[in-house]
Amino acid sequence: MSDDNWPSPMPRPGDDDETPGADASVFAAFAPPHDAAIAALPDDTTAAESPEEATATAPPEDDDFGPELAGAALSVRSAPQGVPAGGPQAASGVGNRVRGLASAGGADRVVSPRRRSGPLSWIGAVLLAVWLVAMPLTSSVTELRQNTQIVVMVLAVLGVNIATGYGGMISLGHGVFVAVGAFGAAYAVDDLALPWVVSIIAGAAFAGAIGALVGLPALRIKGIHLALVTLGLAIVFQPLAKRVPAFSGGVSGRAVGAELVPPSWFGTTRWAEGLYRYVICLAVVGLAMWLTHNIIKSRPGRAMRAVRDNDTAAAVYGVNLVASRVSTFAASATLAGLAGALGIVLVPFTSQESYPFQESLVLYATAVLGGLGSIWGSVLGVAIREVFSAIGGFLGDVSGLGPLGEFLRLLDEEQFVFGVLLVALTFVFPRGLIGMFNRSKPWLRYGGSRIAESKSLQN
Amino acid sequence: MDVVLLLQRIFDALFNSAIYSSLALALVIIFRSTGLLNFAQGEMATFSAYIAFVLLAGAAPGVTGGGLASWIGAPLVTPLAIGGAVVIGIAAGAATERVLIRPLRNAPELALVNVTIGILLALNSLMGQWWGTGPRVFPPFFPSDPGDHFAIAGARLRFSTAGAWLVLFALLTVLALLLRYTRAGLAFRAVSIDSESAALNGIRVGPTLMYGWALAAGLGAIAANMSANSVLLEPTMMVRVLVYAFAAATLGGLDSPKGALVGGVVIGLSQTLIPAYVPFIGFELSVLPALVAMVVVLIVRPAGLFGTQRIERV
Repeated sequence: MSDDNWPSPMPRPGDDDETPGADASVFAAFAPPHDAAIAALPDDTTAAESPEEATATAPPEDDDFGPELAGAALSVRSAPQGVPAGGPQAASGVGNRVRGLASAGGADRVVSPRRRSGPLSWIGAVLLAVWLVAMPLTSSVTELRQNTQIVVMVLAVLGVNIATGYGGMISLGHGVFVAVGAFGAAYAVDDLALPWVVSIIAGAAFAGAIGALVGLPALRIKGIHLALVTLGLAIVFQPLAKRVPAFSGGVSGRAVGAELVPPSWFGTTRWAEGLYRYVICLAVVGLAMWLTHNIIKSRPGRAMRAVRDNDTAAAVYGVNLVASRVSTFAASATLAGLAGALGIVLVPFTSQESYPFQESLVLYATAVLGGLGSIWGSVLGVAIREVFSAIGGFLGDVSGLGPLGEFLRLLDEEQFVFGVLLVALTFVFPRGLIGMFNRSKPWLRYGGSRIAESKSLQN
Repeated sequence: MDVVLLLQRIFDALFNSAIYSSLALALVIIFRSTGLLNFAQGEMATFSAYIAFVLLAGAAPGVTGGGLASWIGAPLVTPLAIGGAVVIGIAAGAATERVLIRPLRNAPELALVNVTIGILLALNSLMGQWWGTGPRVFPPFFPSDPGDHFAIAGARLRFSTAGAWLVLFALLTVLALLLRYTRAGLAFRAVSIDSESAALNGIRVGPTLMYGWALAAGLGAIAANMSANSVLLEPTMMVRVLVYAFAAATLGGLDSPKGALVGGVVIGLSQTLIPAYVPFIGFELSVLPALVAMVVVLIVRPAGLFGTQRIERV
């Protein structure tokens, strides 16, 4: 293939203005993307696969699990042999996000744009491991149950993260899916007398189905308008649930009759029962995180992020927008529903009272605070929530301080703290607190005039 | 079908229509100029109603008869308290733009959603903490004793409904005059149409947007103070109202003030009439038709009835 087929590798000054929506992180590897792919098509079979590979060049700092994606990017970059090194430079002209790629010496060698984890992440991992092991051994029955609920909450936050962080569909109503999962599992285990395993899966699947229904309008409704619709869903949920008492227990809620009891060899004390549920919940959460990671890293996950960054370009490269958007939303709702279903294993009662719209917003805030577009970010978000809850609980107990005591009691209000944190972190840590654990600049401000930077959701 | 009853229901609905129209107008003003949906609009408005409550009744929860009235030594008249609260609301709206929104002018949409949602959560919780989550009695804005109504064709048009519409029309007139005949209004219109060109023509975009936020906050505050008597003052008072207002604004077209007015009337009527004739919906679930209307409009005709079609460059 001669150089004639390859467009000028020099960065064109107008590129930024002409493709305002094209996010540098996904498409810059082809800068200028469309011309490059089309020009390479006629006589180069490797490049002909580029529609498949296009979605593979994910934003390097998208996820903290590893650099596999760089390999996929490589096959595209190496396709047109003999491309002058100016090609990568053109990419860096579009956005410095791809600097890792641009620093490649030759056309067929790509330096991994790995997001390196800093020393803090080791400390975090150790702390988490210690907590997961030591917590059940030192907790009373009640504490164990509460802490297991915290572990389960990771699933709901992860659900928000998949829709908003990976799918680019802002969801302010995920509390609804948690509730639907809880109601569904309760209905299955009590009214249909199904075994627990089936009931939990049924609850999650039901939430997923509802999520797919909500995902359908998301095909046309995007960005801030979708945020509006999902907020409306969260607000309308409570009165709606009261209207279907057979399912939700109506105004008073429904108690769950069935109990998940451990096999006899596990022990019969209340504490052993709690431990059994903790182990099961932990296993489910771990499994869900692992599955999520694999989905994100596989073709549907790459398609998901390509759609998020620029749906038109993704469609041009062969991504089925309908399937991608709906399945993303369904998957995120399934995770939230799973959290709800596990919730009734822990506390055999569920009611629409527990899911006011503020709960959905706090879930959203948790996902944002931890870090969107990062699985560990969701874990961190839940951890932060608990840390603040502990601090608030401690300060809230300090009384008799007059106006200061009044203010400190306010810190006990989770909703208030999260509202303030959500505003503050948007300024200080726009990428979420998970940024602290990486050797990037977590305090990175919003770009001034770089359109690619300012248009992308994940900043 | 009972015609008098229908007329009565329409009259009852018109009060809500006025409230939704004003709040929708506030949302439209901000959306037009900044392209941002202010999710905190309802809570900001409720906060201002609470300030009026404090001016009248005193800061400490449960204490009545205190407040500024005890300092001045004379009972504070309701309009004065509400006026003060609206002024404070306007100042707070302008301050919000300056401190929290303007630094994010180059930030992605998500950051602005985060900030407005954060304000919503924080204010909602703050109000619950300071004044309790229970409903509070708020003095009426208009005379609203049982006898205060016009009788029209057998149905009753309450003074408060007529008053709300009078206020709304007065506000619209003031707004139109401000936008048409003042320098700031001209600048605001220019920024709404194209902020970059406006900036190139020497208009200071930031202060102009602040002006828009102040106007919107004032509209919201007046709406909240007018409705606080009938729906009872509580922290989540404006949450459902916000959904109706968003539905109204979406229906009319998110960037069309005329649309906000028409949308408010339509949503207000449907909110009263649909539950009356469809038993399943009932009063509490009357948010559902509004949400459905919003979704349908966004899917079928995103520009709404009067909004401008958005053309996206690829």
